Amino acid sequence: MANNLKDNEFDVIIVGGGITGAGTARDCSLRGLRVLLIERNDIADGATGRNHGLLHSGARYAVKDSESATECIKENMILRNIARNCVEDTQGLFITLPEDAETGFGLDYQKKFIDACIAAGISAKAIDPKDAIRMEPSVNPTLIGAVQVPDGSVDPFRLCSANVLDAKLHGAKVITYTEVTEFVKEDNTIKGVKVHNKKTGEDAVYYAPVTVNAAGIWGHSIAEMAGVHVGMYPAKGALLVFGHRVNNVVINRCRKSADGDILVPGDTVTVIGTTSTKVPFEECDNMSVTREEVELLLREGCALCPSLANTRILRAYAGVRPLVASDDDPTGRSISRGIVCLDHETRDGIKGFITITGGKLMTYRLMAEWATDAVCRKLAVAEQCKTAVTPLPGSEPKDQYSEVKIPQFAGANLGMKASIGRQGSMVRKIDFTNAEDRELVCECEQVTVGEIRYAVNELGVTSLRDLRRRTRVGMGTCQGAFCIGKAAAALAAALGKPEMADQLAADYLNERWKGMSAVGWGDTLREMEYLQRVYKSSNESK
Amino acid sequence: MRYDAVIIGAGIAGTTAAEALLAKGLRCALVAQGRSKSNPDLNALVARGLALYLGDEVLSGDIVEGRVVALHTQKLEDVALVADNYILASGKFFSRGIVADMDRVYEPIFGLDVEYDADRSNWFNADFAADQKFLSFGVKNYGQGKVAHEGVVLSNLFAAGEVLEGICSLDSAEKIAASAAEAVSNIK
Repeated sequence: MANNLKDNEFDVIIVGGGITGAGTARDCSLRGLRVLLIERNDIADGATGRNHGLLHSGARYAVKDSESATECIKENMILRNIARNCVEDTQGLFITLPEDAETGFGLDYQKKFIDACIAAGISAKAIDPKDAIRMEPSVNPTLIGAVQVPDGSVDPFRLCSANVLDAKLHGAKVITYTEVTEFVKEDNTIKGVKVHNKKTGEDAVYYAPVTVNAAGIWGHSIAEMAGVHVGMYPAKGALLVFGHRVNNVVINRCRKSADGDILVPGDTVTVIGTTSTKVPFEECDNMSVTREEVELLLREGCALCPSLANTRILRAYAGVRPLVASDDDPTGRSISRGIVCLDHETRDGIKGFITITGGKLMTYRLMAEWATDAVCRKLAVAEQCKTAVTPLPGSEPKDQYSEVKIPQFAGANLGMKASIGRQGSMVRKIDFTNAEDRELVCECEQVTVGEIRYAVNELGVTSLRDLRRRTRVGMGTCQGAFCIGKAAAALAAALGKPEMADQLAADYLNERWKGMSAVGWGDTLREMEYLQRVYKSSNESK
Repeated sequence: MRYDAVIIGAGIAGTTAAEALLAKGLRCALVAQGRSKSNPDLNALVARGLALYLGDEVLSGDIVEGRVVALHTQKLEDVALVADNYILASGKFFSRGIVADMDRVYEPIFGLDVEYDADRSNWFNADFAADQKFLSFGVKNYGQGKVAHEGVVLSNLFAAGEVLEGICSLDSAEKIAASAAEAVSNIK
């Protein structure tokens, strides 16, 4: 928009590199604004990267909250189109088990559920339990009812990264590992932010007429820093990842939403979740999964899919949903899971500051649209939102690939094919010319040296943790046991800092270790002993 | 089938024990889970008279009045392996010599007394590189590899190597072999 801005001046500053901030940065950039996106860790580090990865059909909300259900199915259809490369059309089943009849969620409820879905615009049809077993052989065979809905799975890391990448392609500046320390505030107007880069230790100041708080649960303290109060409630959700892709169709329980009643296949694994527990703000930065949560998730997971009882658990993790209390309810009891977009000028008399929160992964694009509309109103920009129809990088329709040179499939190795699966049409940026580029680093997820170089050059990677979010390196069945050394060396080389390899590996081992410790028994403990043997013995022999 | 000694496990501890027992002129059998026939160490022991039960797994052992009287394996089914003495060298978690489930840590063949921390929060150090307490868990050692079942020290079963408390795969081969030598020293 503004043409003669200095290097540290922008039209809009967005705080938070989760899917909401990334989506808002993309929307603002597509509308021609000069955008700065600030993230205190890596992108998709908070709740964005710690959920099921479920592409909700909205069926889960249909009975209780038809508005959310309608939002979900609309966004579901949009994401299938604009984020083709990040979603997988697995379809979903809502199953009724014999014991559900005893709790009032028998086949009468199923009928009510189907009616509510159809009213919300979700295609839901009852299918014969035998057909459900044929469709998904791992489903609990005692089921007495099944409804097919257009659920899917979505890779939230990839989705967030694609939004950030498109924002950058449209001129946005993105800085990670940088915290907002203070707002530049004059009278009652937010004029910019003071930031501290945690990696370099440098401080800087950036200015913009509008700042958007899109920091998820951490938006609570960002708002406090700006001098306004947003009543947020951190709700922890714990999840378990299983060692292989147990199911190919999302399995849900056809009853009132409860803990551990969604089983989602994603890439090479299956995820069960989730729980919902109110936690103090202090815990949001260091979530750990308790034994009780694991037991609950396993018990409920086995009801959906009995073979989970004998499947190795890879790791456990937890995220924090930013639930928001209604403004008109000072007790905070009336909590909304819907989208909350607050203009603090009209609400609190603080100019140049907007908070976008609540919502969910599924509705990030709509949240971004609302936030960007609010930004544009403040800046008197008339551009309309284009994100509902413009494909994300990597997700361009196949017939528009003409100029894209995708490696010949006949000669392409599995790693190259996996790269196409992950990076979509952006695979054209990956150099597979030399044998070294085609060398496999992560065997579980089929990540090549070439893809690692691409991630470093184009997707802002500084550590193996970051690389995991861009390429799934180390996320598969071996949890890095076979590849951490190779991956650290390849990443260090791509960063031009070969001396960092050991540090990168040690850092990543600690991250994997945390997720395994929460489920450290049975086969997971065997894997942990093995990991110790592989990496500690090799350290000793140096 | 009757032997002077039966050894469970073909790792460093098991093969070291077998070698020492053969050197004493005893009739030995060894049960190995692995299926490789090309293990030079094992083949050398077979050449010296070891009866090798390859690709088999000991499922349970009978204990009567403080003595092991028979072993039952997967392949031998109702034919028991019987010996005067037994060496348990079945390794730790990875090889399932010790099993941890959600509620307890146990030794699956005999149900031997196991030393471990009941408080799971002490099992792991968040720093991968630091010492990890779970690696110290194992069959309780009453000295020289003597082990107990429900508090009673057994007179003819001795444990060697990683299955024991305080020994793990990060230890040197020398330390593991030394524990096997100690276990064998109980057998005259």
